[in-house]
Amino acid sequence: MRKSLLKRGSALFAFLCGIGVISSAGTVSAEEVKKATLYGNMTVVTQDMLNRAGGDANNFLHTNGNYSQTRYYPASQINTGNVKNLRPAWIFQTEVVESQETTPIVVNGVMYITTSFSHVYALDAATGEQIWHYKHKMGPITTYCCGPNNRGVAVSGDKVFLGTLDAKLVALDAKSGKVVWEKQIADPEKGYSETMAPTAVNGKILIGTNGGEYGVRGFVKAYDAESGKLLWTFYTTAENSVGVWATHDATGRDMLRDIKAEKAALKKLGDPYKTLGGGVWQNPAVDLETNRIYFVAGNPSPDLDGSVRPGDNLYTNSLISVDLDTGKYICHFQYIAHDVWDLDAVSPPIITQVKDKNGKMVKGVLHGGKTGHVYVHRADDCSLIRFSEAMVPQEDMWVLPTKDGQRMLPGANGGVEWSPMTVDAGLGLVYVINLHQPMTYHVESTPYPGGKLWLGGAFKVIPGEEQWGNVSAVDYNTGKIRWKVKTQQPMIGGIMATAGGLVFTGEGNGLFKAYDSKTGNLLWKFQAGAGVNAPPASYTVDGKQYIVVGAGGNVQLNYKRGNNIIAFTLAD
Amino acid sequence: MNAKIPFVLGFLFAFVTATANADEYAALRETIEACAGCHGERGASKEDAFPILAGQELYYLYVQMKDFKSGLRKNEIMQPVLADLKKQDLFALAKYFSEQKWPNIGFTGDPERVLNGERAANAGQCVACHLGSYTGNSRVPRLAGQYPNYLAKTMLDMKSKARNNATAISALLSTFSESDISDMAEYMGNM
Repeated sequence: MRKSLLKRGSALFAFLCGIGVISSAGTVSAEEVKKATLYGNMTVVTQDMLNRAGGDANNFLHTNGNYSQTRYYPASQINTGNVKNLRPAWIFQTEVVESQETTPIVVNGVMYITTSFSHVYALDAATGEQIWHYKHKMGPITTYCCGPNNRGVAVSGDKVFLGTLDAKLVALDAKSGKVVWEKQIADPEKGYSETMAPTAVNGKILIGTNGGEYGVRGFVKAYDAESGKLLWTFYTTAENSVGVWATHDATGRDMLRDIKAEKAALKKLGDPYKTLGGGVWQNPAVDLETNRIYFVAGNPSPDLDGSVRPGDNLYTNSLISVDLDTGKYICHFQYIAHDVWDLDAVSPPIITQVKDKNGKMVKGVLHGGKTGHVYVHRADDCSLIRFSEAMVPQEDMWVLPTKDGQRMLPGANGGVEWSPMTVDAGLGLVYVINLHQPMTYHVESTPYPGGKLWLGGAFKVIPGEEQWGNVSAVDYNTGKIRWKVKTQQPMIGGIMATAGGLVFTGEGNGLFKAYDSKTGNLLWKFQAGAGVNAPPASYTVDGKQYIVVGAGGNVQLNYKRGNNIIAFTLAD
Repeated sequence: MNAKIPFVLGFLFAFVTATANADEYAALRETIEACAGCHGERGASKEDAFPILAGQELYYLYVQMKDFKSGLRKNEIMQPVLADLKKQDLFALAKYFSEQKWPNIGFTGDPERVLNGERAANAGQCVACHLGSYTGNSRVPRLAGQYPNYLAKTMLDMKSKARNNATAISALLSTFSESDISDMAEYMGNM
């Protein structure tokens, strides 16, 4: 351990020396040197480091790269000209062969990754050698939908933070992996679980919850990073969840609601907010200028049966903004009121400058929906500026689910799932991975089952119908698709753009690919041997830029499982 | 050092060792023996009408026993057997069976039916809950290597609502034909 600490402590020195050598060869630009982490004591993650993560070409400090969640990595050592020389530098195998959704977090040469069933590993980011392994002592009760996944850790100060399947928030000592504190977030017997990475900001740890398939009451909570004390809770299902009886979705299509029947049900059943779902699966974007966060809330419970939850079901299927210090509501925008298709909001929002309706640049928020649209909002009031062309086929929207099943596209695993998008602001493009998996929607009304799976029907994949995915580049200032590349299988995992003019993303068939971000031309690929269904990350150690990704397959789409974390760098 | 400390430590060690060696299921041995009448020694059933309990998921077993006791899952045999047991007894029983080794039933399915069963299970996205190995987790049961006859019967009972304590699964199974259900049982039993 001492050795590894010394190694970490000398990382800056080694990095600077490395730059001297490599710069003379012309592969690292002066601009890149400026973007490196040249502050801090190298063992502690300061708030300043977290704030500047977007320009830090050494580290990868947030699950989605930076507080704006652009997943844009500022290093360009690996670029369109040399990506063909990208080779594996090392492969680390975890002890868990199951769905892999982690984003590696890298702090000054140390990498933190997670696996299914809430394990954490600290690795030497240059060699892949294990420093420590934390295996969460799981309680006997876990209740989760769509796999025992974990999407990564948050880092702040001298700690690493993890959400667990049994609905706990755990703070680990970053040097040793020992537990510093542990808090029960919610009751797993009632359907709460954690698979998302927490977000660390200003001494707080933010975390949402899964459970939209179990009749939970969704939330985002803020905890004190030092003590684990709960600071605030924002519930994603409002006590008055009825709303305005919206009849059309965000794109103006009629959702065929029977408002009269819903009003009668409301009179009989009352407001359903206590079991209304609204899980928050992914990280909030943080706007430090306004001290606000933006996140999306998922589907209402039960997924397919609207008869037991009359009203708009606020704030399910919505972009929501709350105050970072208090958790107080600021604004929201609901994409689909009273959703009965589980085409919810899951992919993490991105803050970036966008053109408003008059062509003026304003602070905006992007979200990719399971509907297959990218939605572009004003950040100040959450209102919708525009939505993109559909990236996947849409048919018969919004036909209602029936007992015998009704085909509608997208299927419930459709469009943009939980997969994070990435933005190249210089090009004005957001890069998105999509699924096309036709399904039938079946409804069957049942009462709240007290923590058991509660779908109110069933989703069924249509055997024999072709399934596929795509990588799309969308101009968020016009809503037009700039380029689109079809993939063999539906896409789930995530994507990352870099200053090298590249976007990296993986597929269920094990291929990890790099595309030219301007054109969509395929420039490089690697067969990982198991599904690459985790978001990639990048970092630099000793002057070498690495691209890293998990290859462990995916439970939701049943892609081949594995247990590899693979780091790539340019061949010498 | 205080002279009493070694003595106290020795006593504590003896106490802890004795406690660790004690049979934590002593109070339930009679019940466990009664269970063996149908479910086999240690829950390793040898008859295909009765499900294997040995190595099944703890929380799944607990919830099923709770549901039998309350009548949510109807069964003329199980309900009276569990009627007088308290929740902590049910949890301990579940723990006991979950700690036993899952037996190999040595079943080999018909290849064509296994293949069709796999296709049907994929359409139902069964692995999303039961995991790719169909070994389940916590409240989701292991299906891999369970008796196909039991699996087929319980799935058909769910389809017909004769078993109605997992409504989401009932809704899903109601979309399958009886023949597909039977093939899914063949596929899972074959694992």
